[in-house]
Amino acid sequence: MTEIEQLLARQARWQKSRKALSWPEKIRMAEQIRASVAQWRSLAGYNAAAAHKSKSVRA
Amino acid sequence: MQSAGVIQNYALFGATAQMRYTEPVATLDADVLVAVPSPDRLDALGGIYGFCAAKGYHPEGEAIQVRAWPVQFVPVFSPLTREAMEQAETADFEGVPFRVVRADYLAVIALSVGRSKDCARILALLESDSVSREEIERLAVRHGLAEAWRRFERRFLND
Repeated sequence: MTEIEQLLARQARWQKSRKALSWPEKIRMAEQIRASVAQWRSLAGYNAAAAHKSKSVRA
Repeated sequence: MQSAGVIQNYALFGATAQMRYTEPVATLDADVLVAVPSPDRLDALGGIYGFCAAKGYHPEGEAIQVRAWPVQFVPVFSPLTREAMEQAETADFEGVPFRVVRADYLAVIALSVGRSKDCARILALLESDSVSREEIERLAVRHGLAEAWRRFERRFLND
């Protein structure tokens, strides 16, 4: 098994172990990452708006 | 809310419902399908907003902030979503019974919407063995989504 295959196998095992968690535990995990997801999405929105503005200025 | 007559029925759907079957996924809010007594009124969700406000839960954007989660109440908008809500299972959330849309309906609702994240949801549900291709196909055909399912199969499932 190559190093990449080992990495993918480890990742698959990790994902399966997370799937086996109880529903409330999974909801709590999603809750914990919600703030960073919101931040990332607003940053993505900000970057898209900035790119649009920069294009308009150039035009 | 149900016993107060504000809604007739409800079921959790979207990513928070998906997590019952798959690994956790990133989501910003919780989506709840609701049947309201007067769906044709312009302010169909007015009763829900009033009820929540009286409990101290106020609107934020298109959702109502309920403790840690923004909750989006979505009135049933098609025969498929109505059936999904009516056929929902009652799950236990730390001792609290909660109606949650079944995996097959989650997959077919995702098929009907068809964004990239909806395709990913269908694949995640299939991979978790919570629904089979045949179950999705049967439900999709019954709700006029046979062609959408064939396209999805060609794109993602055929070798």
